[in-house]
Amino acid sequence: MKTPLIQNERFVQVAAPLLVGVLVLLMWQLTVVAFEVPKYIVPSPVDIGRSLVSDFSSLFNALMMTLKVTFLAFAISVVLGVAASLLFVQSKWIEISLFPYAVLMQVTPIVAIAPLIIIWVNDTTWALTICAVIVAIFPIISNTTLGLRSVDPNLLSMFRMYRTSRWQELVRLRIPSALPYFFGGLRISSGLALIGAVVAEFVAGTGGAKAGLAYMILQSGYNLQIPKMFAALILITVTGILLFGLMVWMSDRALRNWHESALKVEH
Amino acid sequence: MTANKVTPLNPLREPEVEAPVPEAVAAGRPVLQVDGVNKIYGNGTVALKGADLTIKQGEFVSLLGPSGCGKSTLLRIMAGLGEVTTGTVKWWEQDYGVVGSKGRKLAFVFQNATLMPWARVRKNIRLPLDLDRAGNAPEVEKKIDDALDMVGLKGFDESFPRELSGGMQMRASIARAMVTEPDLLLMDEPFGALDEMTRNKLNDDVLKLWKEKGWTIVFVTHSVYEAVYLSSRVVVMAARPGRIVDDIEIEEPYPRSPDFRVSTEFAGYCRQVSQALERASAMGERKEGKDS
Repeated sequence: MKTPLIQNERFVQVAAPLLVGVLVLLMWQLTVVAFEVPKYIVPSPVDIGRSLVSDFSSLFNALMMTLKVTFLAFAISVVLGVAASLLFVQSKWIEISLFPYAVLMQVTPIVAIAPLIIIWVNDTTWALTICAVIVAIFPIISNTTLGLRSVDPNLLSMFRMYRTSRWQELVRLRIPSALPYFFGGLRISSGLALIGAVVAEFVAGTGGAKAGLAYMILQSGYNLQIPKMFAALILITVTGILLFGLMVWMSDRALRNWHESALKVEH
Repeated sequence: MTANKVTPLNPLREPEVEAPVPEAVAAGRPVLQVDGVNKIYGNGTVALKGADLTIKQGEFVSLLGPSGCGKSTLLRIMAGLGEVTTGTVKWWEQDYGVVGSKGRKLAFVFQNATLMPWARVRKNIRLPLDLDRAGNAPEVEKKIDDALDMVGLKGFDESFPRELSGGMQMRASIARAMVTEPDLLLMDEPFGALDEMTRNKLNDDVLKLWKEKGWTIVFVTHSVYEAVYLSSRVVVMAARPGRIVDDIEIEEPYPRSPDFRVSTEFAGYCRQVSQALERASAMGERKEGKDS
């Protein structure tokens, strides 16, 4: 028997928020038109759509620049973050000595140190990337370290009983145990890499060929091209959502057979 | 090889009754000797005081006692997982430290199944062999197949642990111990979390494996009935400080069938062990009363 769409959980999961979105856009459009709000104060969704099309090439270039910094920063955060965690679990002393500095990086506002980094590092892309790494690396370090330590003590006893080397213990026990935590870190960090890239760019204010989405927003603001500003904002948001979705998908692929977080419960 | 001769367990079949007592029981060479072992933790808690215990080859010894009597501590010391404060532990009459962990063929079955959730059953069972770099030789695979077969998990080797029931997970855990062909199998309340039906079934299965493989088993339990049903000897322990207070032989011959559970002999042994346990608990309480 064919079940009605409304009873299909997957359909509802997509359709319900979509419906809310469409309704909000509709209300927005109607309000702006009805009260004749000028475009340079609040543009209508249609105006924003038009800007997305007409300014596509400049917006697209800016998006690519921002994406480049985001992905570079994210990749570097993953590599360095995991390396730091592996180092931390080797000895309590290493962790005690170094962890406060990881926290220091986390609590220092990036806008406060971005100007310094931009002065020190000549290449803009790298300067922005370093800023984004500083923002994005901490969740990877803290989650992965926690995961590498969260090993079933009985399993650990068993490994020790069978005279395992540290390497085997790491590869066969600690790393698989840490995966759920690591993926949790990835989800947070991917969003932070994007935020870091955008914030750093605001501070750097890079124009010209290397302009990213943040510069687009700044510039559009100065020129009162508010629809374009919104268009850039939408691109940033959509990028963030896609990145998050990608992380959720990856985590689901890796953990779906065994970890509670990825199990599908059947009723 | 003995593994080829043994019959697989069939969960629906009653245990067989005709098999003889393993020769090993008659041999009775000490596998493990605990002499005057004291274990005091850093905070001053005396977990074990003057523990003396000899486990002979082919024996099925249960450690029984109230919570905090140090039975798990003693078992972990036997496994080489904990250091003794004073006293000696001998493995085949040689000093534990001299033999080293490489020289001891031991397996440990924990309170919970302790399987790696990310690995399929087969990979879980072969873990000790992998850690020992046994490789992928055909005989290794056969050993794993035999173990799966004997614990009644044939056909589940590609399942993930979460897809198995609690009893089946425990069977996988026993299979993992089995592939190492241990001289001594240590079991720490392995069936405590299972329902009674499953527990009884697994008790019969463990007895059957013990008998067929000629294993030596030390079994920690909270249950008087389980201890009497399984063991050739029940060692009763008391708490505060943890110590051995009684050592009761269960002279009922093997193999033991579920009929033993309803016999007057069984009731008699249970009464004897329960009384010993009550005395042990009273000792702990008296001591506690004096302390406070």
